Amino acid sequence: MGADADVAGRGVLARIGGTLSSLVFPVSERQRERRRIVVLCLPFLALLAFSGVFPLTEMFRISFSEARLTTEGFTLEYYRQLVVDPYYRTIAVNTLWFAAATTVASIAVAVPVAHSLEKYDLPGKSVMLTVLSFPNSLPGIVAAFMIIVLFGNTGIITNFIAALSGQSPIDLAIATSVLGLFFAYLYSMIPRALLLLRGTYAEVNTDAEEAARSLGASPLKTFWYVTLPQIKPGLIGAFVLVFRTALAIFGTILILKSLLVWTLQIDREIAQGFNIAQASAMATVWFVFVFAFTLLALKYTSAEVSI
Amino acid sequence: MGSRFESGSLSARYGRQFVTLVLAATLVFLALPVVLTFVSSFAGEWVGALPSGFVTLENWNDVIVGTGVGADASVGSSLAYSAGLALAGVLINLIVGVPIAYAVARYEFWGRDWVNVFAILPLAPGIILGIAFLRTYPDLSTSGIALVIGYSLLKAPYMVMAVQSSFQSMDLQQIEESARSLGASWPRTFLTVIVPNAKAGIIAGSIISWTLAAAEFNFSYIVYSRGTPPLSIFLFNNITNASFLNAAAAVSVFFLLIALVTISLQIVGNRGAVRRL
Repeated sequence: MGADADVAGRGVLARIGGTLSSLVFPVSERQRERRRIVVLCLPFLALLAFSGVFPLTEMFRISFSEARLTTEGFTLEYYRQLVVDPYYRTIAVNTLWFAAATTVASIAVAVPVAHSLEKYDLPGKSVMLTVLSFPNSLPGIVAAFMIIVLFGNTGIITNFIAALSGQSPIDLAIATSVLGLFFAYLYSMIPRALLLLRGTYAEVNTDAEEAARSLGASPLKTFWYVTLPQIKPGLIGAFVLVFRTALAIFGTILILKSLLVWTLQIDREIAQGFNIAQASAMATVWFVFVFAFTLLALKYTSAEVSI
Repeated sequence: MGSRFESGSLSARYGRQFVTLVLAATLVFLALPVVLTFVSSFAGEWVGALPSGFVTLENWNDVIVGTGVGADASVGSSLAYSAGLALAGVLINLIVGVPIAYAVARYEFWGRDWVNVFAILPLAPGIILGIAFLRTYPDLSTSGIALVIGYSLLKAPYMVMAVQSSFQSMDLQQIEESARSLGASWPRTFLTVIVPNAKAGIIAGSIISWTLAAAEFNFSYIVYSRGTPPLSIFLFNNITNASFLNAAAAVSVFFLLIALVTISLQIVGNRGAVRRL
């Protein structure tokens, strides 16, 4: 294979060689600037290649491997399994609807919160902002623990409701139910959505809102017809990024275990018999889906992504 | 017209209350469990609605010194180990993150937008990268090197963003040209003029990526095999295996760490970075 590629690639190689030599020994200021750019980008690209691209390529290759412990042969068995087996289909459906539902819910909460932070004169705003951004640095396992504190058997909200209704707290505890998981997702996703939306809200033109209000539009109408169109690109961008976050959640679900989602199943493939090929196939599907989803969303919507 | 005003008055009268209520509920939802965890870590027991038996340091003692039961590790060794791993990750992040942030902020070049997207959007989340590392670098995972390079890739975006925000507030071209016209070579200009000027962003970025690396669970869980557990694995073991109050103390150690980091970011003066954390 080497010889053919060499002949075909010689012309290209000569050109690349020319570019390379101008990079290493620049003559003009323009070439010198290009060398600087390459030098500046090189460390990051090296890290990206070594710890990102190369392992992901290996993962991709393993997912087609026939042998279990070495990468050999070619089989689509693991992908066929994902398509044919209803077990995996259920997991895929679970993952997607749950991520979509939590994304919509967390953005629905984050919009009024961002609104109040931007428009209202609130006491202690900087404390509020610290509280609202604090969970961004908590790993998912801690978010799960927070939900146990709130909704577990001895949870404060469980006991509060139990005291009001007279039922046993054990019957009311929802921490390890799907609803509890829903709240756990929200615990990490609301602060994230808020972070994205606050940037968007800061750029809203308040003159137009005031004009609408003074012309007799209600606050709701003003929001719907004046504010919402302005924050729409930011809203779509937030939806894309928060949805990605939701799909990547793993620690939370590992503790609460109430819904079998894609990431949890990836771990189970590894934990139960080290089925690395199946896990790699699942991880590859995840990666390709999210990558394509992000690209398409950024390309075909007005989404603005700024973290 | 009448109906328009009616619906108008409805949202005019209750709209603000409703929005404020959502804000208050969100604040309670996010803050209450944190406060409760911290308080209950000093409690002797928690069987009823509220923890009781204050104030005891028993749980903290179990977490910090270790219970000595089985293979139980104390938080000290995990914290030190994670701190070291995360610090190594930050060093890599400095080497890769500062230059690329400068390249994107200062120069126009072909593929700049793509470079930027790859620099600020994480390529793959922890669990996917962990699976990819399992077979690619099996020998590295026992020594902690796999953890370091994984952390540095996962947390690089935070470094790039923090440094970029510093660069964006500087007139880079003017600074660079002044230094060059005074006779400094380009590498010298970059290292002794540009980088020191972006100090605030670099410090903030280092603190943020350090914290997030020390807290990274998903990647550590998949890649970690044996030896001293990283801090997040230690937390996981405590949450799943230890008593509730011990777990509360372990999680509180982590809260203290985050609080410390938040305060140090305030001192550095990068308030934007605090929110982003």
